[in-house]
Amino acid sequence: MFNLFLAVSPEIFLINATFILLIHGVVFSTSKKDDYPPLVSNVGWLGLLSVLITLLLLAAGAPLLTIAHLFWNNFFRRDNFTYFCQILLLLSTAGTISMCFDSFEKERFDAFEFIVLIPLPTRSMLLMIPAHDLIAMYLAIELQSLCFYVIAASKRKSEFSTEAGSKYLILGAFPSGILLFGCSMIYGSTGATHFDQLAKILTGYEITGARSSGIFMGILFIAVGSLFKITAVPFHMWAPDIYEGSPTPVTAFLSIAPKISIFANMSRVSIVASYGGTLQQIFFFCSIASMILGALAAMAQTKVKRPLAHSSIGHVGYIRTGFSCGTIEGIQSLLIGIFIYASMTIDAFAIVPALRQTRVKYIADLGALAKTNPILAMTFSITMFSYAGIPPLAGFCSKFYLFFAALGCGAYFLAPVGVVTSVIGRWAFYYIRLAKRMFFDRPRTWILYEPMDRDKSLLLAMTSSFITSSFPYPSPLFDLTHQMALSSYL
Amino acid sequence: MFLLHEYDIFWTFLIIASLIPILVFWISGLLAPVSKGPEKLSSYESGYYMFALVFVVFDVDTVFLYPWAMSFDVLGLSVFIEAFIFVLILVVGLVYAWRKGALEWS
Repeated sequence: MFNLFLAVSPEIFLINATFILLIHGVVFSTSKKDDYPPLVSNVGWLGLLSVLITLLLLAAGAPLLTIAHLFWNNFFRRDNFTYFCQILLLLSTAGTISMCFDSFEKERFDAFEFIVLIPLPTRSMLLMIPAHDLIAMYLAIELQSLCFYVIAASKRKSEFSTEAGSKYLILGAFPSGILLFGCSMIYGSTGATHFDQLAKILTGYEITGARSSGIFMGILFIAVGSLFKITAVPFHMWAPDIYEGSPTPVTAFLSIAPKISIFANMSRVSIVASYGGTLQQIFFFCSIASMILGALAAMAQTKVKRPLAHSSIGHVGYIRTGFSCGTIEGIQSLLIGIFIYASMTIDAFAIVPALRQTRVKYIADLGALAKTNPILAMTFSITMFSYAGIPPLAGFCSKFYLFFAALGCGAYFLAPVGVVTSVIGRWAFYYIRLAKRMFFDRPRTWILYEPMDRDKSLLLAMTSSFITSSFPYPSPLFDLTHQMALSSYL
Repeated sequence: MFLLHEYDIFWTFLIIASLIPILVFWISGLLAPVSKGPEKLSSYESGYYMFALVFVVFDVDTVFLYPWAMSFDVLGLSVFIEAFIFVLILVVGLVYAWRKGALEWS
């Protein structure tokens, strides 16, 4: 009996910590005798600490992985794949929380509930990654989305933020409905919600001719719902608006954490639903469309956050190519892509709010950054070049492996399209344009930025070093992801 | 009515439950005095927002506790503890609403 609870002790700890933080924050920030202190930084550091302790608990619970299969029958199944995905998720969350502190001080943001609303979806994402049942998957996705709707609208005085929040609500509630509809169709046609049972029922259902339109529709709807949630291209309609209008740490959180967890979950679902012709075609189409859109749509942008949003959509498209092939190399390339994508995105979003004297909204504001703050310019350009896929950096590594996996499974159309769009994104002055602005432009008035605070600079140092060291020494990453991919197929 | 005859009562219920609000609004529209003015076109906040929010939370709480209460005697100790934890989570929400002043009368 106790083994069951030890197996979920990271999540239980995170839930309890969130509630205690909430009560601590609300009791002390409304108490008259302490003169109503705004507890944002306090709760923020405690929140960061609780996420890190959860990480420790997760790492310490690794020997329990073999025993933790006791939960197999009910909701989730933990193995190496989920273990490392959860670690990546917790690390990204810790990174985004540490990005928030500076913006709290500068903008005099005093709602501590914002911080409480970050470990809460993290906990539901921790439960979503190993979810092995349709009901568990849906509940976790819903819980995670609800918290995000709120924090996307958290800058109450800004219209942009409110608009982003309501757009995200609509863009998130609708695919939850579609996802649930798909789950109910599959349950109605097969009578099983647990992935193991579904795997037995759905094995090769396209080939054996035992097709049922209910199952087909169910899988289609689940795939479409999940694709909405990771803002894949035919379904990405308001995602740039959401990413632009939300406060920057929220955008960072939004572009990393749900992608990790939904990709992990989707790869589980796709393995179970046996990667039939329908699923693969949908994912291929979405990947191609995402890559093309990510490369082309960012050309016309003048602000800084919108091209980051488009580039994240495009990069997620690249990652999805790895995922659309049903092979182990596919899952491995997906995981490599996600690790590198997470560090690049944390990098990019840590730099953007750091450039503030007035807030940086337009790209023209980046002019001559190389003269005023050369290290920041170099870090930003490393990140941008990594996004573009230029060789000595990690982005090239991940793209190379993704296309390699795609060619390996016979997607002969997809890989050239990917290469071409990556080149367009590179040459057609998109990422390179930012670098040019920074290094070679001379603005009319010199813009002076305040120096960056300590937490963000630490974060930037860690992620940039990961990006630059990934190419010469990629083997730990490759080994790790190979193990993860293998264990997810077991 | 037309097809599934066990559901006749359901159809009656549905029609009456749709007719009553329509009737209410129609009679109120007939009998109320009508005056025009720019004041009437402005939006009005009735102040019941906080009440409605807290109501929704505790109503969902109640909805989940009803089935538990009905089958309490056949479920064991572990389900009691789970329901207890559920109520504890909602008490956390209640403490938050209390400290934020949602329970004040004014």
